Amino acid sequence: MEPNIAALSSPEELIAAVRRGSRAALKRLYELESRRLYGVALRIARRPELAADALQDAFVQVWQNAASFSAERGSAAGWLTGIVRFRALDIVRKLGREVLSDDPALGEAAHEPDMAAEIDLKLTQDALRRCLRALDVKQRHCILLAFVDGLSHAEIATRLPAPLGSVKSWVRRGLLSLRSCLEP
Amino acid sequence: MIPDHPEELQALAGEYVLGVLDPEAAREVEAAVVQNAALAAAIAFWQEQLHPLSRLAAPAEPPAGLWRRIEGALAGAAAPAPPRLWDRVATWRWSTAAAVAVAAGLALYIALAPPAPGPGYVAVLHAPQRADAAFVATGGERGLLLRAVAQERPPGDRGFELWAIPAGAKPRSLGVIPPDGRIELGHLPVPLSEGMTLAISIEPRTGSPTGQPTGPVVFVGALMAAR
Repeated sequence: MEPNIAALSSPEELIAAVRRGSRAALKRLYELESRRLYGVALRIARRPELAADALQDAFVQVWQNAASFSAERGSAAGWLTGIVRFRALDIVRKLGREVLSDDPALGEAAHEPDMAAEIDLKLTQDALRRCLRALDVKQRHCILLAFVDGLSHAEIATRLPAPLGSVKSWVRRGLLSLRSCLEP
Repeated sequence: MIPDHPEELQALAGEYVLGVLDPEAAREVEAAVVQNAALAAAIAFWQEQLHPLSRLAAPAEPPAGLWRRIEGALAGAAAPAPPRLWDRVATWRWSTAAAVAVAAGLALYIALAPPAPGPGYVAVLHAPQRADAAFVATGGERGLLLRAVAQERPPGDRGFELWAIPAGAKPRSLGVIPPDGRIELGHLPVPLSEGMTLAISIEPRTGSPTGQPTGPVVFVGALMAAR
């Protein structure tokens, strides 16, 4: 079919091939990205079967909407992450998180000190790391709980615990501080 | 409401990318992004800047059979639709009422539609037994706008869900129509094409639980090239 697909390793090139209708390219993309993306989905959805559903929905969406990817707007990794996160969020929000949080065997959203350490350890983007560290600790915690664990304002408020209005304002002010730090 | 103020717009786009907006607000952002370049740029900024945070989630091995399931889902997406309601829709599409509706649709399109770049399509949706329009859809490469042109309401606690049905394929949901009868979509799950059927079915207010129409189809129409 397309013997050169196996040689491709950039998600951008693979998405371009998917857009031309190559199933082999989609499979290669899955081989390269599925561990990372499944981890993203699992952290949000908590349950393996739900994370698998999210990843399935995401790859079907990639197949159907590859044309909507534009390398000028951002990286393929960012585009894929966005799709997987939104599919996982759709699934957990549809089910209602209370169904999920009843189960003591499920993973737990990380605590702020662990997350701050992880930022240093795992983030290779200097600017993002520096700007996150410059944030107020509450603002940073809220943004991480939302992005990494997929928690809503109300879920963050329950977890911290803190008043809902404060959480909304921390998220918002955190975003605006990040923005001015990342793009002064 | 999408704010004009740059700071407000940045915050809203960031909240959207984080996923903390409530569903109505998120849908409003998705509808607005088609025509709002500043909003689109702000969303792209946050998506690109924040995605490295996903590294904080530990990678994990997906279930062994998952790729095969995905391949199956892709095959299903392209398979012919099962012979159900949709046959009736397809037959009806070519009836005289449809021709009348298309003519009415073109007139309405000229009267109502904002100019859109690229090829344009129009569809008039109405009850299979009636010729008067209930909804008018206009669209093209950059999305689809559906508007109510009559006072049609779903019964009780139900909602109207909009579907695109490409020839020979299963219906694809375009979302539940808000109570004001207007839905604006930037990203479509299938490209619009001439002859594609749009249909509206009665579903739970949160949308079909199965991803396929479960209630009766109450309005249908076929997309026609508008220019």
